[in-house]
Amino acid sequence: MRLSEILRLVYLNLIQNKFKVILTSIGIVVGSATIMMVIAIGTGGREEVAEQFKNLNAGAIDITYENAASFSGMFVAGDSGGGSSSVTAAFNEMPSGGGGYGGGRGMGGDFGGFSFFGSGQSGADDRINQEDVTLTTDDMEDLQVFVPGVSDVTISYSANASVEGGTMEAASYYTIAGVQSNYAEMSNLELAIGDFLTDEENESKEKVCVLGMTAAKAIFGSAYDAYDSVLYIDDRPYVVTGVLSEMGTVASGISPDTAIFIPYETGIKYITGDSISPTITVIAEDVNLVDQVIANVETVLADSYPNTEFTVSDAGSKMEAASASNETLTLLLIAMAIIVFIVGGIGIMNVLFVSVKEHTNEIGILKAIGCSRRDILLEFLLEASCISLIGAVIGVLLALGITPLVELFSVRVSLSVIGAVLSLLFGVITGSVFGFYPAYKASRLIPVVALNQE
Amino acid sequence: MITMKNINKGYMLGEEKLPILKNIDFHVERGEYVAILGPSGSGKTTLMNIIGCMDVMDSGEYYLDGMAIHDTSEDRLTDVRNNKIGFIFQNYQLIPTYNVMQNIIMPLLMRGMNHKEAEEQCSETIRLLGLDHRIGHRPSELSGGQKQRVSIARALVGKPAILLADEPTGALDQSSGKDVLKLFQELNEMGNTIVMITHDLNVAQSAKRIVRIVDGQLFE
Repeated sequence: MRLSEILRLVYLNLIQNKFKVILTSIGIVVGSATIMMVIAIGTGGREEVAEQFKNLNAGAIDITYENAASFSGMFVAGDSGGGSSSVTAAFNEMPSGGGGYGGGRGMGGDFGGFSFFGSGQSGADDRINQEDVTLTTDDMEDLQVFVPGVSDVTISYSANASVEGGTMEAASYYTIAGVQSNYAEMSNLELAIGDFLTDEENESKEKVCVLGMTAAKAIFGSAYDAYDSVLYIDDRPYVVTGVLSEMGTVASGISPDTAIFIPYETGIKYITGDSISPTITVIAEDVNLVDQVIANVETVLADSYPNTEFTVSDAGSKMEAASASNETLTLLLIAMAIIVFIVGGIGIMNVLFVSVKEHTNEIGILKAIGCSRRDILLEFLLEASCISLIGAVIGVLLALGITPLVELFSVRVSLSVIGAVLSLLFGVITGSVFGFYPAYKASRLIPVVALNQE
Repeated sequence: MITMKNINKGYMLGEEKLPILKNIDFHVERGEYVAILGPSGSGKTTLMNIIGCMDVMDSGEYYLDGMAIHDTSEDRLTDVRNNKIGFIFQNYQLIPTYNVMQNIIMPLLMRGMNHKEAEEQCSETIRLLGLDHRIGHRPSELSGGQKQRVSIARALVGKPAILLADEPTGALDQSSGKDVLKLFQELNEMGNTIVMITHDLNVAQSAKRIVRIVDGQLFE
């Protein structure tokens, strides 16, 4: 029989059993929608990671200190990888520790625990007893001078403060970032209007600020209105000397779009006092030197702060960790989609078996009047494929429909033609694979037996 | 046209084989109209299925239009059923979801014709059987006599070597039954070879030759 005629028969069967077709295809609908959403969410996640890190200098290394109260959690973070390493300079002073700087990086980063030297309890006690440390501009200068392979160093901190002014009717809290003049260049920040903070403004502790684009729009309505205006941070007036372009990235733990940047020293004098936890950012001259620079940074800091642990993380590892996390989520969703497809496929197989049973007499008639095994196999297989295709198309449409809902939960969804084609393909393949066996059984029916089936 | 030599057929009943056809010798010439007459359980339907290539014999030789059916594969038998045999069933065996036209053209579609060619080829048969005004109807919308006419049209449309009719009037009222038998006679006069099985002597008498089957054995 011609393929076109078989397709015509399949079409007749499908339109005469619309409800059955819809019910049968539900598994494929869900499976296809899941596959499409998995691909879209996976792609969206990758794009988000890429966007978050697009302005991040690959050679950037952040050094922070967290006090003993929060140490335990930080240690776990450093120990589990992801580019952060917890450094304990105190190793040099432990009873069993050797001399020199190398021990800090080696134990905190590579061996991942204090038990190498003795009991874990002993190490924990040391950590709890360590001094409360605040990184300073002196530390920054030490790193600039003593660590080879460093192209630039800066120090920054962030705090929340009450902001008034512009078109705002009431005070709001904003992230205030105390930074130095080189912060903008090191974090690849671009200015939409005006200039970034200068060394002179920092040294003279001037009350000036640069706004992120989102903050400028929220406070003044636009970047143009914000420029050269005055706003009040903790009731003190600051002149807006510049507004950043929209960045969408996070640098040194600060989201530039929503932050207000002020000179480092100005912030300490008027807003935070000495109660800050600054981050020193070091830029390695060469990305390949990052590990070496980290080791040297840790060595220099261990010399300045014995018995103190710092968190050192580099941009590349942050990206890897974010990507790994995203891939894990994608794998989980793919596993879910596969399960849905298998369940959907079994559903199709069941319905087709019932269909073969229901149509056994008709198959007998067709065989009696000369329909070949191939034609019967093709007819049932194409029926399964068409049901799957219909399900897959509905699934793709469903995915398109639920995308806005998913985005409401702040999940980035990046729909693509490839995703749609793949989900259609997966749907049709699943239906065809699971539909083959019932179709094969139908084609092998003995004419006289099939014909006498009630 | 049909030559059967020493055909035997039985079915397994538990461990034991129940013989249905015993040493059947049967011959039909081209253009004959033969009735196989027998009571229920005599083996006439089994014989019909073997003649129609829908069942296989246990032993013996069967030649249809010169072809050794006993030595033919299932795939080839499909072609034989499509090209050489036209089946007419007691309960019509029409596909309920297809309309009259779709049911009638099925054998032609199986030969590789397209829909349009098949419809053109069967138009004469449809006129002959008086189904012109019913081609768009489903079987459920037809009377028993009309359904049987559709079944006959489907059997005739491929111009088979032989028409096999299994109790063709069994499900019809007397008047419709007479019409069908009259139609068979007309078809036979037009040169068609017909083999009909029936348990009704009156029906069998419409044929030119009657063969009796009793307990799986054939008697002229």
